[in-house]
Amino acid sequence: MSSPLDLGLRAQAAAIAAGEVGPSELLDAALERIEERNPALNAVVETFPERSREMLAAAPEGPLRGVPVVVKDEWPLPWRAQRFGAAQLLAPTAAAESGPYRALRDAGAVIAGVGNMHELGAGSTGNTSVYGPARNPWDTERCPGGSSSGPAASVAGRLVAGAVGADGLGSVRFPAAYCGLTGLKPTFGRSAMDGHHMAPVTTLIVSGPLCADAADCRLLGSVLFGEELPATEPAGLRIGVVRDAVSEDVTAEVGAACEEAVEALRAETGGEVREIALPGLEAATLAAILIINSESMNGVRPEQLNQLDPELSPIARGSLKYRMLLPAAAIVQSTRVRAMMRRRLAALFEEVDVIAWPTIPAPAPRLEEPLVELPSGTLSADQANVRGAALANLTGIPSISMPVGLSSEGLPLALQLQAAWGRDELLLDAAEALERANGRRWVESLPPLAEATPTEA
Amino acid sequence: MEGAASADEFIPAGLASLGIEASEVDLAVMAAVHGLFWPAIIDLLALDTEGMEPEQDPDLSRAPR
Repeated sequence: MSSPLDLGLRAQAAAIAAGEVGPSELLDAALERIEERNPALNAVVETFPERSREMLAAAPEGPLRGVPVVVKDEWPLPWRAQRFGAAQLLAPTAAAESGPYRALRDAGAVIAGVGNMHELGAGSTGNTSVYGPARNPWDTERCPGGSSSGPAASVAGRLVAGAVGADGLGSVRFPAAYCGLTGLKPTFGRSAMDGHHMAPVTTLIVSGPLCADAADCRLLGSVLFGEELPATEPAGLRIGVVRDAVSEDVTAEVGAACEEAVEALRAETGGEVREIALPGLEAATLAAILIINSESMNGVRPEQLNQLDPELSPIARGSLKYRMLLPAAAIVQSTRVRAMMRRRLAALFEEVDVIAWPTIPAPAPRLEEPLVELPSGTLSADQANVRGAALANLTGIPSISMPVGLSSEGLPLALQLQAAWGRDELLLDAAEALERANGRRWVESLPPLAEATPTEA
Repeated sequence: MEGAASADEFIPAGLASLGIEASEVDLAVMAAVHGLFWPAIIDLLALDTEGMEPEQDPDLSRAPR
């Protein structure tokens, strides 16, 4: 028998509920697999078997009873303060019960480890972290995506079947895309955020699930939302596509895979594809960057920037200092752009149900040189990726990334769908419809590392 | 480049006014960030947003009122 760890999240939960797999056995298997595979991935930065076993011993009969999961290093746990992937966090932190922790605990889940992340959440690649970079299970010389790098690499490497990430500018969707997973960025405010050091001020960051497929994301999402996310068949889906840099300035393979997926989704739902105009995307991207950077400096005093930990990366040190110089007028202008884009989206969602474009313009770049070659030239992956992600964070709408193919180098390609506020369920429905349309080919594809040396249960 | 040129004056002056110290590496990183973002910030400030007033107490979990 192959390991129960190779089952998806809901299958693990069902196997435990049916008595086919013992929860202690599953936790032990997860911890063993972390020991076995994590040296190649650096996905999990800390395990705490005693604490995990205590959680399991106290686990209620919830929907995830006994299922091991990983939580990004972005929330405190009762026995561990978050480090945010960095040598120093300017905000005060302490071990505590965070919203995601409580949601997981109350659902009966077991936190098996803490997932690595891009330093200070400030990158889409995951190649910089106080713990060293996490690595992509599809090619360990490649970026796993960020900033939820460890959660994604943990699930793609089948260390666990579900992980909790956070998304402030695409940080769930990029790693989901690079690692061939499904990742949901919920509607702002809908998922558990308590305990996050930016929770009192952020208007962009949300917690979100990373899993192999949409149904698993629905299960973990329901836990994080604290409510059922019912499934329905999306019929007659009206899919909006934008002819802009976000969909045109992509590699040929990304463009072809996403077009094929959109057509498959249209056919599966008996829907239609409409070309739509969404002016202002460039300004929206910058507005989101400026707002999140200014919010990240909440309570920071200039003198703190003269005492930065020397272990912070040079980019983090310089960027933190630069954030203090952002012009207030640009932040205010960003709020006007936010209002403009929210009104434009509200009008657009009268005409279409979802807006589709590639999650990432190119597959995962190399860790040591995270650049992407696009029709417009060579760009840093961060610069290129954020163009497709920031709108959802700026405006609050939900968004989902799902795998839609593999590149000629065997790296995942991904499509992103966005819907109106509160229609997270529709995105999950659409992602499941696409899985049906393509025979679940991409959500069941395994990276070489996860195919190797299956652990016996 | 507009952003790179203005970095020579803007960044040291801004840091000095706030009492923030910076190493040569810090300044180099900041100049790169400035070169990347400043032209776009200038464009953003120049954007005509007449009639696009910010929402009053926006609820980002819902469509605008």
